[in-house]
Amino acid sequence: MSVHHFIKPMGFFNPKIFGIEIIYTIIVVFLCLLIYYKTKEIYNLTRYKGIKYFRNAFLLFGLSYAIRFLLHFLMLSIIAFDFIIPRRMFGPLVMIPTGYLSTMAIFYLAYTTIWKKIKYEDFLIFSNFLAILVSLVAFFSRSHILLTTLQLVLLVLTILISYRKPKKVKRKTHAKALYILISIFWLLNLLLIGPRRLLPPEMKIILQLISVSVFIVVYYKLKKWIK
Amino acid sequence: MDKMRKRDRLEVIHDFLRIIQLSNNSIKPTPLLRKSNLSSQSFSDYFEEMKSKGLIKEVLDKKSRKHIALTEKGFKYLEKYKMILGFIEEFEL
Repeated sequence: MSVHHFIKPMGFFNPKIFGIEIIYTIIVVFLCLLIYYKTKEIYNLTRYKGIKYFRNAFLLFGLSYAIRFLLHFLMLSIIAFDFIIPRRMFGPLVMIPTGYLSTMAIFYLAYTTIWKKIKYEDFLIFSNFLAILVSLVAFFSRSHILLTTLQLVLLVLTILISYRKPKKVKRKTHAKALYILISIFWLLNLLLIGPRRLLPPEMKIILQLISVSVFIVVYYKLKKWIK
Repeated sequence: MDKMRKRDRLEVIHDFLRIIQLSNNSIKPTPLLRKSNLSSQSFSDYFEEMKSKGLIKEVLDKKSRKHIALTEKGFKYLEKYKMILGFIEEFEL
């Protein structure tokens, strides 16, 4: 039997922080699905492509946050719970949907602002290809840190593209800034999963509070127009 | 020379539906084409699109002449048009 079987994994488990994580995930998933649901009627009326991509982005973010929690749970299970989950098997498997859905969510959010400049078919092929590639890298490397790094690179590229192909807007609404913040908070949340303490728990809670408030701002802006 | 502002898709659909509404929700295709200010090709494209989306419907009068009328969805589109534009602008969609 190898020596690794006797070594407890390095990590930290705090039931309160775990409880906050559950509440945070529920709130974010709920807000994402609410945004998706609230825009259903105007999408059905108009079939406007921009609305479709906007809805897709929030649906994918909602799913990504839900699966991210599953990944977090699997990472903690080895030190926190009595029951055994075959983490080595399920961890990489959960990495695939996490990588794919969240990469597509970031792409869709960026695409909402540039869809008039780039053909949807080209976007679909390119983004799916990259999302599959990213999820495969995450699967084989089993590293959420590598996944975060890859998505950060893609996010920077999409920001550059969206600013190189600006759309004429009648008034400044800071929508792009909100989209960037949503993507950055996703990356931070992905980076902070698992038992490792990359940040003090208080800092993590503050980050999550800011992240929730960004989603609330999006929902508030939406409610201004959609009753 | 001043170039006329190009109407976007949502605006064309709105204008199209508004013409029908202002005609007591019943208009023949020819006056609709004239009032819509579209080429006949664009007109038939938009007409088919709106029909397939369920915004308008064709009805026959007693003499079996074709008229175009708004559906419930068409009325809702007109009612929510400003809200839709506001939402699109708000999120830069």
